[in-house]
Amino acid sequence: MKKSVFPLGLLCGAMILSGCATRISEVPLDRTAATTRIEPQDIRRTVEKMVESLLVAPGVKEFVSGRRPVLDVEPMQNRTTQHIDMASLTESVRMQLLRSGMFRFVDRSSTGTAAVDVERINQENQLGLVDASKAVKAGHQTALDMYLTGTLSEIKNVTGRTTDQYYKFSMSLKDLKTGELVWADEQEIRKASTRPVVGW
Amino acid sequence: MKISKNIITAALLTAGVTGLYGCRNTSGTVVKTDHLTGTSSIIEENGRLAHQVDVVNIAYDEVNGLKRAHITMQSNRNRRLRVDYRICWFDINGMEIDPQTKTYRNQILEGRDTVTVTGVANSPAAVSSKLRIRETSQAE
Repeated sequence: MKKSVFPLGLLCGAMILSGCATRISEVPLDRTAATTRIEPQDIRRTVEKMVESLLVAPGVKEFVSGRRPVLDVEPMQNRTTQHIDMASLTESVRMQLLRSGMFRFVDRSSTGTAAVDVERINQENQLGLVDASKAVKAGHQTALDMYLTGTLSEIKNVTGRTTDQYYKFSMSLKDLKTGELVWADEQEIRKASTRPVVGW
Repeated sequence: MKISKNIITAALLTAGVTGLYGCRNTSGTVVKTDHLTGTSSIIEENGRLAHQVDVVNIAYDEVNGLKRAHITMQSNRNRRLRVDYRICWFDINGMEIDPQTKTYRNQILEGRDTVTVTGVANSPAAVSSKLRIRETSQAE
């Protein structure tokens, strides 16, 4: 009896102790939801769906036919109570649209971009190192045809131990010349979590 | 002695269950479509998922120069079913185009419901698509 209890105790002890070690592993980018907050996989899915919706929109087809319009993606607005890197989200949208090959892009909306461009052109010309005939002159940048805007908003409800979180990501594409909305769409995410009766 | 045998059996069972818990089956159902020839094939890698979800229709078209695939799934269960799906695209040489931009999306299938999912190619160079369905419960 004593002989069989000893290895069992050892086994149980080993199992308990193995739970104390911090485990680190790489996980898939599209893992299942772990919290009710906005997670990387939510952003990836939303960006993908939005870009797909934009690329097949009838209004965009009319605008794009035979040419590649110049587009600017404005930084998305965060109207949620969470801190979300909206600049990164904006870059993801821009990158996926750029890869589709349907648009050309300028970056006027990012803070300080225009000032940096002007400063660089002036620097090049003022230093005297550049061949004057090849120097870039200000006032030749490509004009904007359309711009893309977007917002992320949330509604949170807490009922007892259950938290219900709803997010809505809206985007619209506007024709700068006519002021018309060429495309608009929204994606919704809803998550719920229930706290255990006993827990901390 | 009888008690110790019971303890050993219980310990072995616990260890077995703990070990099995880590064995996740992430295989699923794959639908391959060649948009140039119009041929499609369905490969069912996961028997349990194949019993739960049927692929009942595959359609494709082209919008704004980009290929688009529509795949209809049907649940064979009476209860709600959660699956993930991903549609990726390949060029004429069979190379996957921007795999990082195509993610697994969630899909809830109500009891005996039929749902059509759509995927748009991320490049005009795409000529074939692959839909992969997996059980959400098996994903990390």
